[in-house]
Amino acid sequence: MGLLALGTPLDWPEAKEKADQVRQWGIQQLLAIWNKAKGKEKDALLWGDEIEYLVVTYKDDDPNVTLSLRQADILHALAHDEKLCDDGGCVPALQDVGGTALPIFHPEFGRFMLEATPGKPWGIGFRDLLDVEPNMKLRRKIAKEHMHPEEFPITLTTYPRLGSPGVFTSPYYPASGEKLRSQFVPDEIANPHIRFPTLAANIRARRGRKVQVNVPVYKDKNTPSPWKDPTVNYDLHKWPEDDDVRQGAAPDNFIHMDAMAFGMGSCCLQITFQAKNITEGRTMYDQLSPLGPILLALTAATPIYKGFLADTDVRWNQISAAVDCRTPEELGEKPLKNDRWRIAKSRYAPNSTYISDDPRLRKEYLDPNLIIDPDVKQQLMNGGMDSLLATHFAHLFIRDPIVVFAEDLEELDLNKTDHFENLQSTNWQHIRFKPPPANNDIGWRVEFRPMEIQVTDFENAAFSVFMVLITRAILSYDLNFYIPITRTDENMQTAHRRDAVLEEKFYFRKNPFPIRAPRPHSANGASNSGTNTPHILSRPPTPTGPVEDEYALMGIDEIMNGSKRDSGNNFPGLIPLVESYLDSMNVDVETRCELASYLDLIRKRANGSLWTASKWIRNFVQNHEDYKGDSVVGEKINHDLIGAVIAIEGPGKKDVANVEKFLGSV
Amino acid sequence: MTRLILSTSNVMTGGPSIMRRPGADRSNLELINSLRSNFLAAQEDYSPSSTSNGSSPRSDQEESQVRPPVSTWTTRHASDFYIPTIDWSLAGLFEERNQYDITVKLFYLPAADIRDRAQHTKDAIQLVLRQLGVQYIDLLIVSFPGLSFDGDCEWEADKKNSAQGNDNEEVASWAVLEELYDQGTVKKLGVAEFGSEKLSRFLTRVKIRPKVDQVNIKDCCNVPPPLLKLGKLENIELLVHNDCTNILPSGTLRELLGQGPDGAGVLSETKRGLDGIKGDLTPEWVVKYTAVVRDRGVIENKGYFAVAQLKE
Repeated sequence: MGLLALGTPLDWPEAKEKADQVRQWGIQQLLAIWNKAKGKEKDALLWGDEIEYLVVTYKDDDPNVTLSLRQADILHALAHDEKLCDDGGCVPALQDVGGTALPIFHPEFGRFMLEATPGKPWGIGFRDLLDVEPNMKLRRKIAKEHMHPEEFPITLTTYPRLGSPGVFTSPYYPASGEKLRSQFVPDEIANPHIRFPTLAANIRARRGRKVQVNVPVYKDKNTPSPWKDPTVNYDLHKWPEDDDVRQGAAPDNFIHMDAMAFGMGSCCLQITFQAKNITEGRTMYDQLSPLGPILLALTAATPIYKGFLADTDVRWNQISAAVDCRTPEELGEKPLKNDRWRIAKSRYAPNSTYISDDPRLRKEYLDPNLIIDPDVKQQLMNGGMDSLLATHFAHLFIRDPIVVFAEDLEELDLNKTDHFENLQSTNWQHIRFKPPPANNDIGWRVEFRPMEIQVTDFENAAFSVFMVLITRAILSYDLNFYIPITRTDENMQTAHRRDAVLEEKFYFRKNPFPIRAPRPHSANGASNSGTNTPHILSRPPTPTGPVEDEYALMGIDEIMNGSKRDSGNNFPGLIPLVESYLDSMNVDVETRCELASYLDLIRKRANGSLWTASKWIRNFVQNHEDYKGDSVVGEKINHDLIGAVIAIEGPGKKDVANVEKFLGSV
Repeated sequence: MTRLILSTSNVMTGGPSIMRRPGADRSNLELINSLRSNFLAAQEDYSPSSTSNGSSPRSDQEESQVRPPVSTWTTRHASDFYIPTIDWSLAGLFEERNQYDITVKLFYLPAADIRDRAQHTKDAIQLVLRQLGVQYIDLLIVSFPGLSFDGDCEWEADKKNSAQGNDNEEVASWAVLEELYDQGTVKKLGVAEFGSEKLSRFLTRVKIRPKVDQVNIKDCCNVPPPLLKLGKLENIELLVHNDCTNILPSGTLRELLGQGPDGAGVLSETKRGLDGIKGDLTPEWVVKYTAVVRDRGVIENKGYFAVAQLKE
């Protein structure tokens, strides 16, 4: 999350009235960036990871674990640690730091969350890849040092008992505040910066009711059927939205949640890559898109919500629902009258367009039902943007801006990107295409957003480094992972299912290799006219044949580790692709061994010889002495789970239950 | 005497031939597969009757029926026989020279006469420079025959290595590399599969010291401590590879060029009554080149040349 501007936020519906102005100015700012940066070339690969933490208050002997709401104090302590600042780490930052760059800490939506990024971006020097894990450990250590002794930064995606009855925050606040109007969590759960409560309140106001985050409950041997969420209160009459549950917001067999905090309070592992130029950025955006659901399933770490075991393994849909601002008309529940279109997905969703000007991008891969704002597209094209990219932004711009500051509407500044970013940064798609920011030298970037945060820094480093290496393999081998983009939507849903990593199949392209282009001067090659550059060879022909023949349903093991002889798909596997890439590079023995341990973790997660965090947590709960087989994750179980999560990053690691099945030999 | 010059062109765009198979460490599959697929590609491209675009698999029988005459897709120039024809107008890299790290690995093959190594080295470097359109390379690693770094435990491998190869021959061969270094054609020299004892002996006997020792390590990652220590002390980088030392045995070469289903149809096999060149075939050297865009970690061009002598 970037710098947080201050100002006077408009409530809904005043913000709605300014939506067109914000969009208009956003388009003009986008065109200004585009015209300035479309020819930007030769940027190095720089990349960064973001680690998000929950801050818990935990004592060995107190079964009540809580979320610490001292985010502001902790950030303040970090910001006012003079030694730390002198050495380059600060809050919030973006300042240019030289030398040994210390990590940078940022606020996040949840007031119990912290985000930490490396002090400066990583490069592709293989030595840099070795620094990632120690740097992640350093971030955790520094964060811990600026907390109370009983506070711990942990990297679980969600807090297992967020919104459960009883006390789950310190300090305690009652639920049912004006902004969130949640019957489960207090307004104080959100970062008090005015942007966040406004975001939550305006999403709710735009929807015309509270958000509905419903997760199927896991049916264990003693779980009642049908199961009714016992924590839902049907007798609240404080806010009009208290009617939601009486009108069916909480269906049987679902864990019911009703506030943005249940989604945006999740921790993710996000990686951003800088591309050489806009063309490479667009290629990476497209090629990473089909990998999203695969990495989501592979990093599964979210089996518990609100004190109950869920029948899903990942966080994605819950965040999607938690910020779903669509009106009943946009959702298709009512005929269109005031709104412009029906919208298939929440603004937090898998991406819906491909944007690369790659001859291998067949029109069959695009979504024929994509909603765009034709006026926005036309304006962008009039400004010189090509149709594919204009379509992408015209799709993002179907949304309303949610948080609008009155001060920003006084004058349009084309040297800023605030209005563009207002729409861009509240389109939380699984891949984000990021134009260069105003007034600095950063290039075109692509952000990979689907991965779940992992419990340990070792795992987080492993997945971060893997993503860097697979992008290098994609660019080096000119790989082609295109499938119809709506299949990626289906894959994202598949990735939610319990143990999808082992049990489910995903649509994936069978042959990722480019079709060889004939020699330009041969009998069957291109004509002799034109320039004699190697570029001719690099442009592969457009594939032909039915699109449906290009892809197949594959398990994660096959996608990651390659097809077995009997599969018929003959897919090489993402890990062998990375290894082939590494074989062609000069890598020193120490680095190669470290990389091997990362690839080994991922290989084993994919083939089932190691457990995902979801499986490990689920197993921990189900084997706990207090667990009654009824899907309930009570306070004592939660306490011991959090204790294990803390211990696993410390000297107590070897005593943690099933740690060898989770992380391999300790 | 005919010199056969086999080439792969850029293997990065060559598809599955470059993929490592699970569990296959130390292999020459990449070389063999990419040579084979480049032969096939050239046959398709240069064949006037072909309508295939290179992606359709054909059965063996069709293969031999449609296999175009050797002369269409190869070039004979004086005593050199290019298999396939190399279109030098396509040579070169996209960006300026200083954007790249270019690494070349030269394999001296066991059957070649060691007195020819100086010439082989110069020939190999010339081919690579021409192919990439550059004036110098950043790192040249040489692989001498008979060396290995094998064994379940790398401690053992390090000890065994000490007695392998032939120190005198290796030191003698090094002179030409020093010459290339002095000329500025090569910026850095390296060796492959040198264990700690062999490497320390070597260091005392050469003028320009290797800066790199490329070793094969298996999954256990136990680099022998003496080698690690020596590397640190002498400032020699230990890099990883997974090539085999005898990367092109003559049997493999005959099969590649022969009349069989996977062969290129260049060599005669009289018992099948087919025409082609005949004679004794001696693989002499193989060179691998890799051009990486340095600050992006992208491999732009990678390929091999393999050279063999044919006594007709």
